[in-house]
Amino acid sequence: MRESFRRLLAEKCAETDIRRVMASPGGHDADLWQAMANLGIVSLLVPEEFDGIGAGAVEMEEIMEEAGAALLAGPLLPSAFIAASLVSLSDDADAKARLLPAIASGQTIATVAFTGDTGTWSLTDISVTARPQGNVWVLEGEASFLLSANLADVLLVFARTPDGVGCFEVDPSKVQISPLVSWDPSLRMSKIALSETQAVRIAGVDSITFEQLIEIAVVALAGEQAGACRRIFDITVEYLKTRVQFGRPIGGFQAIKHMAADLLIEVESATSAARSAALALATDAPDKDVLISLAAFACADAFSQVAAASIQMHGGIAFTWEHPAHLYLRRARADAQLFGQSDAYRERFVAAMEKAA
Amino acid sequence: MMNDAKTLGDEVRVWLAEHWDAESRRAKSGGSLAEWMDQVVAAGWAVPSWPAEWWGRGLDKKSVSLIVNEFRKVGAPGAGQDRTNITANSVMQFGNDALKQKIIPEFLTGRASQCLLYSEPGAGSDLAAVRTRADLQGDHYLVTGQKVWTSGAQNADYGLLIARTDWDVPKHEGLSFFIIEMRQPGIEVRPINQITGDSHFNEVFLDGAVVPVENRVGDEGQGWKVMQTALAVERLVMGDGAGERRQGSSKNNVVSLIDIARETGKINDPVARQEIAQAMAYRKLNALNMLRAKQEMAQGSASPIMSLGKLAMSRILHEDARIMTKLMGAASMLDGPEHSLAADVNYRTANAYMTSIGGGTDQIQRNIIGERVLGLPRETEADRNVPFRESRAVTG
Ligand SMILES: Cc1cc2nc3c(=O)[nH]c(=O)nc-3n(C[C@H](O)[C@H](O)[C@H](O)COP(=O)(O)OP(=O)(O)OC[C@H]3O[C@@H](n4cnc5c(N)ncnc54)[C@H](O)[C@@H]3O)c2cc1C
Repeated sequence: MRESFRRLLAEKCAETDIRRVMASPGGHDADLWQAMANLGIVSLLVPEEFDGIGAGAVEMEEIMEEAGAALLAGPLLPSAFIAASLVSLSDDADAKARLLPAIASGQTIATVAFTGDTGTWSLTDISVTARPQGNVWVLEGEASFLLSANLADVLLVFARTPDGVGCFEVDPSKVQISPLVSWDPSLRMSKIALSETQAVRIAGVDSITFEQLIEIAVVALAGEQAGACRRIFDITVEYLKTRVQFGRPIGGFQAIKHMAADLLIEVESATSAARSAALALATDAPDKDVLISLAAFACADAFSQVAAASIQMHGGIAFTWEHPAHLYLRRARADAQLFGQSDAYRERFVAAMEKAA
Repeated sequence: MMNDAKTLGDEVRVWLAEHWDAESRRAKSGGSLAEWMDQVVAAGWAVPSWPAEWWGRGLDKKSVSLIVNEFRKVGAPGAGQDRTNITANSVMQFGNDALKQKIIPEFLTGRASQCLLYSEPGAGSDLAAVRTRADLQGDHYLVTGQKVWTSGAQNADYGLLIARTDWDVPKHEGLSFFIIEMRQPGIEVRPINQITGDSHFNEVFLDGAVVPVENRVGDEGQGWKVMQTALAVERLVMGDGAGERRQGSSKNNVVSLIDIARETGKINDPVARQEIAQAMAYRKLNALNMLRAKQEMAQGSASPIMSLGKLAMSRILHEDARIMTKLMGAASMLDGPEHSLAADVNYRTANAYMTSIGGGTDQIQRNIIGERVLGLPRETEADRNVPFRESRAVTG
C-alpha cells in the first residue's frame, strides 16, 4: 500500500498540484482524496467490522512518511487518522456504527477540537464546557487550531463536563467557524466558538482517551516530519551536486559538505525515532512513553533544522516563492507547534527516563 | 547452512545453557577466558558469517545478530567477532591461508592483542602520506620509520602496520599492509602522557624491524584498500561507544546524567532538565539508528547509517561531558580521589576527544559521509596523482 500511495502522490501530488491546492479556497483536492480512499489509505485505521483496513500505528506512520515527503495537506491526518482513532477508542457502539464507515469511505470528513487558544494540546488547555440538559448536552466556549474544519461534516469536541473530560459530536453548521490564516498556506486551520450548542456525547471518552489520542497524533506527525525532512534533504543534496560555483559543484566545499553530513544524522535519527515510536505504540511497549516523547521532539527539531538549513544551502534561489524549499520550512514550523512543543516533550521524555532510571 | 531462525535460536540457547553459567558469568568448565573463547570459536559462534572451514557457520547477518543477542542476554563474551575484530577481519579478507591459520585463532580467543601502526608525525588525517618504509629482503621485509599515537603498543603482541613499499607511484598506490610482531629488537615503544593523565598511546620507533613476507596482508600496493577495511571495523566499534570510558577502567561505562543531576541537586531545575533530555536523546537516537542499521543490513541492504555512528557518538560524549560539568558547577574545578565525581567528569571531558580525533577526526568523518554516503564531490588533494617521492610530504 505504501508503494501505491507513493506512486499516487508522485502522480497527483507533485509540487504544481500542491501549489494549485494551496491557492484554492478549500485547500483540498477531492480527486486525490477519492483516489486515496480507493487505495484504502483513508480507512487504514478503521477496524474491519466498520469497513476499514484495521491497520495500526506502524502502517499509519509509514503512510505519513510518504504524505510528509509530498507535503500533502488536508483531511488525512485530522479525519482519517485522528478522528477515526478517537471514535475507535471510545466505547460508543452507536457512534462507531454511525461515524466510522462514513469516515472510512472518505465521504464524511471529521476533525477533532482538542486544544484552546494556548495551543498546548493538554487537558488543562480544554476550555469548552458541557452541561447536560434533558437528553442532550449543551456546549459553551472556544477551541482553536482545528485542522480541516472548513471541510468537516462532523466536529468532535473535547469539553469539560461535571464528571470530567468528555467528547461530543457537534454539527458544524451549529457553530461559528472562523478560519485562521496560516503561515503554511497548505494548511487550513480554524477556530470555533460554541454558544448554547447542542451536542451528542460520545460514550467512553475521558482524559485517558485524550492522552491516547495525543500519542496517536504525535506518532502520525512524527512520520510526516521524518518523511518531509528526508525529502527536502534529498532535494538539497541533489542541488549540491549540480550547482557550480568557483568552477566546481558547491557540495565539494567543506562548509557545505559538513553541514550535509551533520544533517544526515538528523534525518536518519528522525526516521528511527518515528518508526520506533510507531512500533512501541502498536505493541504497547513498556518504553512507549520514552519513545513517543522522543519522536515528538526529535522529529520536530530535525525537520525544522533541515528545512531551515536547506534554504541557506540553496542560496538566493530558495528565497524565491517559486522554489519548494520554503514550503518545507513553512510546514516544519507549523508541525513543530502541532500537538505540543519540543520543550514540553523533552520534559516528558526526561521524566519517563527518570522513572526508568 | 542453517536458516531457520527459531531453530538457530534454540541451538544457541541450548549450547549456552550447557557451557555457560549465567549466574557467575563464567564457563561451566572453569578455566581462563581464553579457554572459554576456545569453546566459542570451536562451536562457530565467534564468526558465524564466515565459512565452516574458517571457524564459521556460513550464516547470514541476521543470524549473526540473533546469536550475538543470545550471548548478550546471558553476559557471555566472544560471539559475533565477524563484526568487531579488527585484525581477524582484515586477515580473513585479505591474508593468505597460512597467515589466517596462524593469526586468526590467537585473535578470536583473545590470546593475542594488536596495536594499530598507522599514524605518523607527518601523516594523520592524511594517512596515505606515511613515510615508514618496508623494503623487501628475500623472504622478509625490513621496516624503518616512526609511528605515533599508537594505542596499546606497550602491551601488544602484533601491530597492524601500514608502510610504503613503492615511492615512485602516487601516495595511495605505494602502500602495503602488514601484521608485525611487536616484541623484537627493531621496535622501541615510548609511552606518551595524555591529557587524561593516562599513557595508553605511544611513539613507536621501527629500525630495521623484521616482518616475514607471509605476514603481508593483501598484495604489495594494496595496503590502502586493506586499511579501509580495518578502519571501517574500528569506526563501527567506536560508533557503538567503545571510546566511552571512566577513569581507570577499560570497560564501557555509560554515564547517567540523571544520577548526577540527583547527586548535585539539579534534578528539578527545568533548564537542566531540558539539556539532560537533549543529551539523552542523542544517545537514544544513536542506539535506535544502529538498531535500524543492523536490521537493514540483516535484510541484505547496505545501510548508510553505519557510517554515522562515530560522528554521532562524538557529539554524545562531548555533550555529556559539557552537561555534567554544568551540573557540577564550581565543583568541576576540583579533581583527585577526594572529588571522585568531579574527577570522573574531568576525565570524560578530556577523553571525549579520543572519539572525535582517534580513528579519523570528526572533520574527516564528515568528508567521508559527504563523499561516500551522499555522493558529493571529493576533496581536492594537491598530491593525489603525483609520485610520492615528488610530493610535499617528502620534499617539504
Ligand atoms: C586517543 C587517541 C588514540 C589514537 N590511537 C591511535 C592508534 O592506535 N593508532 C594510530 O595509528 N593512530 C591513533 N591515533 C591517531 C589519530 O588517528 C590521529 O590523531 C587522527 O587521525 C588525526 O591526525 P592528526 O593528529 O595528525 O591531526 P591532523 O591530521 O594534523 O589534523 C589537525 C586538524 O586538521 C583537521 N583536518 C585535517 N585534514 C583535514 C581535511 N582534509 N579536511 C578538514 N579538516 C582537516 C583535523 O580534523 C584536525 O582538526 C589516536 C589518536 C587519539 C586522539
